Amino acid sequence: MTNLQRLLLASAMAIGPVAPAAYAADLVVGFTLDADTLDPANHRKRETETVIRNLYDGLLTRDPNMVVVPEIAESMTQVSPTVYDFKIRAGIKFHDGTMMTAEDVKFSLDRVVVEGAMGNGQTSPRQSLMGPVASVEVVDGDTVRITLKEPWPILPAMLPNQQIVSKAFVERVGSEGLATEENGTGPFRLVEWRKGESIIMERFPEYYGGATDIAPVGPACVDRVIFKIIPESASRVAALLAGDVHIINELPAFSIAQVNANSGTHVMTVNGTRSFFVAMNLEGEYFDDPLVRQAAAHAIDKNLLIDKILGGNAAPINGILSPDAFGASDLPVYGYDPEMAKKLLADAGFPNGIDVVMDTEGAFKDTAEAIASLLTKVGIRTTVAVGESAQLTSKWRLQGKAPKTGDMYFSSWGNGSLDPFDIFTPTHRTNDRGNSAGYSNPAVDALLDAAATELDVAKRAGMYREAELMINADLPYLYLWVPQDIYGVSDRLSGWKPSADSRINLHDACLN
Amino acid sequence: MSMAAATPAADTIFRRNLASFMANRLAMAAAVVVVLFVVMAAFAPWLAPQDPYETDLFRRLQPPAWVEGGEWGFLLGCDALGRDIFSRIIYGARISIFVGVTVIVLATGIGIIAGLASGYLRGWVDVIISRIVDILLGFPYLIFAIGLMAMMGPGLGNIILALAYKEWVIPARVVRGETLAVRELEYVEAARALGASPRHIMLREILPNILSPVVVVSTIRMANVIILEASLSFLGLGVQPPMASWGSMVSDGRAFILEAWWVSTFPGLAILLLVLAINVASQGLRDAFDPRFHE
Amino acid sequence: MSLGKLIERLLQLVPVLLGVSLIVFVMMALTPGDPVQIMIGDQNITPEQEEALRRGLGLDRPIVERFFVFIGNALQGDFGQSFYHRRPVADVIAERLPATIELSLVALIVALVTAIPLGVLAAIRKNSIFDKLATVGSLLGVSLPGFWFGILLIMLFAVQWNILPVSGRIGYSSEIETITGFLLIDTLLRGNLPAFWDAVKHILLPAITLGLPMTAILMRVTRTSMLEVLRQDYVTFADAKGLSRARVLFRHALKNALIPTVSVAAIETGSLLGGNMIVETVFGWPGLGRLVVESIFLRNYPLVQAAVLLYAVIYVGLNFFADILYTVLNPRVKL
Repeated sequence: MTNLQRLLLASAMAIGPVAPAAYAADLVVGFTLDADTLDPANHRKRETETVIRNLYDGLLTRDPNMVVVPEIAESMTQVSPTVYDFKIRAGIKFHDGTMMTAEDVKFSLDRVVVEGAMGNGQTSPRQSLMGPVASVEVVDGDTVRITLKEPWPILPAMLPNQQIVSKAFVERVGSEGLATEENGTGPFRLVEWRKGESIIMERFPEYYGGATDIAPVGPACVDRVIFKIIPESASRVAALLAGDVHIINELPAFSIAQVNANSGTHVMTVNGTRSFFVAMNLEGEYFDDPLVRQAAAHAIDKNLLIDKILGGNAAPINGILSPDAFGASDLPVYGYDPEMAKKLLADAGFPNGIDVVMDTEGAFKDTAEAIASLLTKVGIRTTVAVGESAQLTSKWRLQGKAPKTGDMYFSSWGNGSLDPFDIFTPTHRTNDRGNSAGYSNPAVDALLDAAATELDVAKRAGMYREAELMINADLPYLYLWVPQDIYGVSDRLSGWKPSADSRINLHDACLN
Repeated sequence: MSMAAATPAADTIFRRNLASFMANRLAMAAAVVVVLFVVMAAFAPWLAPQDPYETDLFRRLQPPAWVEGGEWGFLLGCDALGRDIFSRIIYGARISIFVGVTVIVLATGIGIIAGLASGYLRGWVDVIISRIVDILLGFPYLIFAIGLMAMMGPGLGNIILALAYKEWVIPARVVRGETLAVRELEYVEAARALGASPRHIMLREILPNILSPVVVVSTIRMANVIILEASLSFLGLGVQPPMASWGSMVSDGRAFILEAWWVSTFPGLAILLLVLAINVASQGLRDAFDPRFHE
Repeated sequence: MSLGKLIERLLQLVPVLLGVSLIVFVMMALTPGDPVQIMIGDQNITPEQEEALRRGLGLDRPIVERFFVFIGNALQGDFGQSFYHRRPVADVIAERLPATIELSLVALIVALVTAIPLGVLAAIRKNSIFDKLATVGSLLGVSLPGFWFGILLIMLFAVQWNILPVSGRIGYSSEIETITGFLLIDTLLRGNLPAFWDAVKHILLPAITLGLPMTAILMRVTRTSMLEVLRQDYVTFADAKGLSRARVLFRHALKNALIPTVSVAAIETGSLLGGNMIVETVFGWPGLGRLVVESIFLRNYPLVQAAVLLYAVIYVGLNFFADILYTVLNPRVKL
């Protein structure tokens, strides 16, 4: 027993030196999930898109600071509130050597927006990411025109979600072939996809260079890029420390010190786009009372939680929007004040406190338990109930189809475009998809609907500010924070920066 | 119902087997370890130095007492929410042992009834039960349990059910086999000739004489069930907070293993020690009680 | 084994497979969670778009109809499309299956290689210190939670000593053209020894983690059957004839003693194949178990149905195989 114990302890405590990676020009990314498919139009997953984005380019893309810039398009012109023209760059080659044309762009976008266009009666699961697109046409040979059914100001922000495929290639291999083969215009081409284990790509020497606004322009720096799938976070960190991989995503906050202390590796962070909050059931027996909701807000020491649980790597929020999002503004703060919380709870008629349950997914158990213990201290005695994500979604995101049960739900909503339309509307509009609190305020609904189609940027921002102030007063959710995305990287890596949309674009990355 | 109820011989055999078990010092030592763990679980509130549920973010991931930064009041260090790991292990014993015992008691109960009915009554009862057993055996254990947890939702009771739904098949097969072996023996024939009801024969005549192998198999399986519960925790389907089984403690702590090895290592060692002790003890039981292993 | 026996076995498979399919269907019907909602995640969608998606996945049909359609298609070898991979589930499963089988077989070899010598020696030196140590030692393997032990192995061999890789099946120094799908065999067939060695290094830690729990069972069986064989007349007789002890043990006793071990190993391989999702997750091993668990959480119904059917077939097949082994190898049964 003692020998075993010594062995275990020794192994766990001391971390040895890191050997150099085996092959100099292979950049290996330790990644959480395998791609579901390589078909840019036939998936609905962030991780899949991250992989695909290194093989395929889009009309538009985002730079590391989330600014939307032209990529395959040379320029974009808004002809009218509902018509956008994209002039296509000349001289772009697919990986099979054929030239890309405006017809390919039209074909790619049609596959996404036209019902049943995927073949076998299937509609692209990405259709809804294209909003109210009515038609895509080729005009003047090298210009593609997108016509909308109604004004949709975030079209440019949403277009980086789509990538351009080769019409001839798709017609040859079909949607089924496109799931495992690729013929994109991106900086890398597929060498081998070892399903569930890794995706190996090599530099495409005839790459047109990518977005001119993102320097450097030209073929990729490294010979090969490998996405290696390592789902378990401790194993992913171990692979980085051992020098097996050069970038890892979703580094846990508590591993930061160790990755920085290890010679040869360091941590990079970027402001994330996912807002965390606790939904309070506005139809429930306690949280229908605004005083109880305010009491809960005053009970939570956000700064302590951010500092201790997230290692300081998060920005506190007082409304649903991230500080980096369009239309975000300073809002009144419900400061940490346990005495005030107790008083509010007593005023609401619960001087002896209340007993409530907070639902959450397993991944957030620790954080939810920490919040629960803060709530419990002011008399909102909270028990955490861990559920599976699919179960919780069907319990809380009812869209008004059934009466809501439960008290609180610790959850989050992603906002990759950093546009309020993607997060504010679903979580706060009456009976919308992500409205877990069951919030319903006709004035907020009207503002959200109007802002969705408002083209005047300043006016639109003003509308969101007004809506934020309303929800800040009504407090359907306890708005918590937007965590940073944390990456561990090798010191040998240069030319790469994490991006807020959690993509890992490796065109400019080099290994020294 | 005592084991001696049926035949006088069973009593003597039992005594001889017990003596043989007691003479096995290794198995006895293991049995003592198991008893100590049970005592620890029973007296948890008196033994635990700290409140196992009290969080203190300022003690987050505090190391064990003998490591720099540790405190003797928190012997084995603290977890991610600053809770005392030593106290949580003492309380966690309750959950892990409770899950192990309940699943096995449930499964063995169902297994005995199904096995007796199948092996003694034969006919369509046997066909139906055997088919159900075959079908359940076709499912991989963990995948079946995961599916059931997804269906029923989380919670301690559902974990026990999810495991017991398949676990009963194992004692059922053992009981059926043993029953087939003894159903034609003289004393059973005699009881039948005297007009005893099938129920009486199954419960009074057959059961006492086949209990030994069932007990042996059950103890071995209990060790397995404790590991299976830990595996469910690993897959995010463990017990509900603030409760903690050892499995859920290892599982929650595994993410920290590079930075704070103590969070998952100590509960891991606790599982290892208890399960090993149960295994060694049950191996001793098997040697002593199962006639096929008598040399 | 007679032809009649074989047909009887195959017929037994039918109710098992039907029962398994029915149970899976009923469970999925009773499980909360909507595949379409899970797929869309945190994005806007109009009700019409949602319906189009649901129609495309065939989820707009009633559950009973879906069951019979599934059975009908499955009989023709069509198990449907994976919701997420958007390809036939049969293809998706086929890509993952070799990795799982390879890992399970190597784990089995690890278990046999450890268990047989330990079991034989423990039987020869019955009740010695060695016997006791071997028993406790092998039980240690069953008593370790696999995920914890696996991470400890990674810490030790991959991070601290840096002699084995953390995860994956093989490195990236050469392209692997698969023939059988089993990398250990393919690399040898191609004569690529460095790649073979690389694959060995990758499979070692996961195989040990997966195989250790089996060691205890196999060692126990070996020890018991060895004891039984050693007591039999022909061994005593050979002893008396003055044949060397070692020769008796290895030429005669061992051969017979191993029959139960091999049969038990065949049956236990089924539980290895169905129980390695945890090892696969820890070591990033691209096997089927991880895929099935992910699919349960994502409510990827077609994949779960097909995979569970496959597991059932494998289980029945292995039991059949164990029976044959037992009849063919065991002289007593043959007589």
